Amino acid sequence: MGLKLGENHLRDLMDWLEEIALRDRSTIGEILASKPITDIESDPRLGRADRLKRVKEELRRLRFPRLAQLEGSIRARIQELKLHPEIRLTVPLGLEGGRLRVELSASTLEDLKRQTGKLAEAADTNTVREIFALLAGEAVESRPKSDYFFPG
Amino acid sequence: MQLFQPQEVIVERGSEASPMYRNLRNALPLIPFRLVDAVSTENGRTDSSAFTFGAAKKRLCLTRYKGEFLKKCPGSDGQVCCNYFVINFASNCPMDCSYCYLQEYLADNPELKVFSNVEDLLTEADELLSKHRRFFFRIGTGEITDSLALDPYIGFAREVVPFFAEQPNALLELKTKSDCVEGLLALDPKERVVVSWSMNPQRVIDLDEHGTASLSERLLAARRCQNAGYRLGFHFDPIVEYLNWESDYEEMLDQTFSTVDWRRIAWLSMGVLRDTLSLKRIIRQRFPQTRLLTGEQVLCPDGKLRYFQPMRIDIYRKMLRWIRRAAPTVKVYLCMESKEVWEQVFGFAPSCEKELGNQMAPSP
Repeated sequence: MGLKLGENHLRDLMDWLEEIALRDRSTIGEILASKPITDIESDPRLGRADRLKRVKEELRRLRFPRLAQLEGSIRARIQELKLHPEIRLTVPLGLEGGRLRVELSASTLEDLKRQTGKLAEAADTNTVREIFALLAGEAVESRPKSDYFFPG
Repeated sequence: MQLFQPQEVIVERGSEASPMYRNLRNALPLIPFRLVDAVSTENGRTDSSAFTFGAAKKRLCLTRYKGEFLKKCPGSDGQVCCNYFVINFASNCPMDCSYCYLQEYLADNPELKVFSNVEDLLTEADELLSKHRRFFFRIGTGEITDSLALDPYIGFAREVVPFFAEQPNALLELKTKSDCVEGLLALDPKERVVVSWSMNPQRVIDLDEHGTASLSERLLAARRCQNAGYRLGFHFDPIVEYLNWESDYEEMLDQTFSTVDWRRIAWLSMGVLRDTLSLKRIIRQRFPQTRLLTGEQVLCPDGKLRYFQPMRIDIYRKMLRWIRRAAPTVKVYLCMESKEVWEQVFGFAPSCEKELGNQMAPSP
């Protein structure tokens, strides 16, 4: 792959590759030769660190497809809220804890009041309700049909 | 279920007079017995690489236990605890489940051992229970071994059930994946002994619970125990998520509730598949073809890998719905789960471990 991986990165990636191969009945070679990975590898705009980051993200998405999809859905809803940059909503990587983290920064009292007002408005929207529903397991999809657990 | 047959029984000097030894001798007349000074130096681990976890299960060691038999279940950091005590009358298990945490927990001490000094165990339990009559104790023997898989050879149940049957402030739980209940049936548990089974659909049993009883055998054994006066427990743990897991688990629950009377069930627990990074490596080495590890597990703050939280909540809610349909008021708890998950599944989380432990006490 020409990515010159450190030991920890290599171990993570190898575990994921082996587990994807076992799950999907493919080979590590086939996974690495898939288009999303080769596209990243051959993208001339990316430096080594960015390439590694993107390959890792792509492999994580392949290894944890439903988690990645859920994280993506939550991210998309947070963006939909179009909050001011001073209000930051995040969820933990892996969604463990099931909490929405809210960070506010304000330079004056008025600013703070404005931010909390905006946040209160956002909290009343369906979008935020949907975020909590996603965190509460109300939209976990079944395994895709192509992914089979048991032989035969 | 195919009964476990050790290739050899190693007996530490001093254990020959115990009831366990007599029971073993009677039950295994064709198996060679070897007397040694100390099991710890006679365990053949001079070549540790060859003495693998699997090989250790093939011979049975009878030895005295020198520490305290009764211990508080360690639970898991930051998770809701069910205030459980454990008695270790044996160490390691003749069965060989792919996901078993003993592969990591006993990696440096994998000998299959049975402790011969049951009289010390009973003395210790008696001291604890009589000193704290105001408190209720839920005590299990299945933490680092299967409670009943060795019972046809050692007769442990008939040594301890009569004692616990007389205790007003304790329930003994015998937890198993076997159908070895013959030794229990003639005893009177007086509502103080719960026999419980770890449950999974036959598909999971076939692939990942090697050497255990089939689902039907477990349920038949449960019904025999129920008819003999025992209360029952079922642990849906580890729940494994795979394509169409829902239909397999729903069917298993239907089968369970149509075989036993749910009003005789003392408790049910649910827990998803959990492992650690190091256990995962051992599993991959010992069971390279298992697909258990291909699920979407993430590292949780207590160092254990579990399916990501929204998926776990979804699994538990579905299981709870199927359970409640058949057994509306049966006690159900989660094993090694956070308060957040409890709240999402049940709408509440126990305020403290004693609250959950007390909920499991029999009604007066």
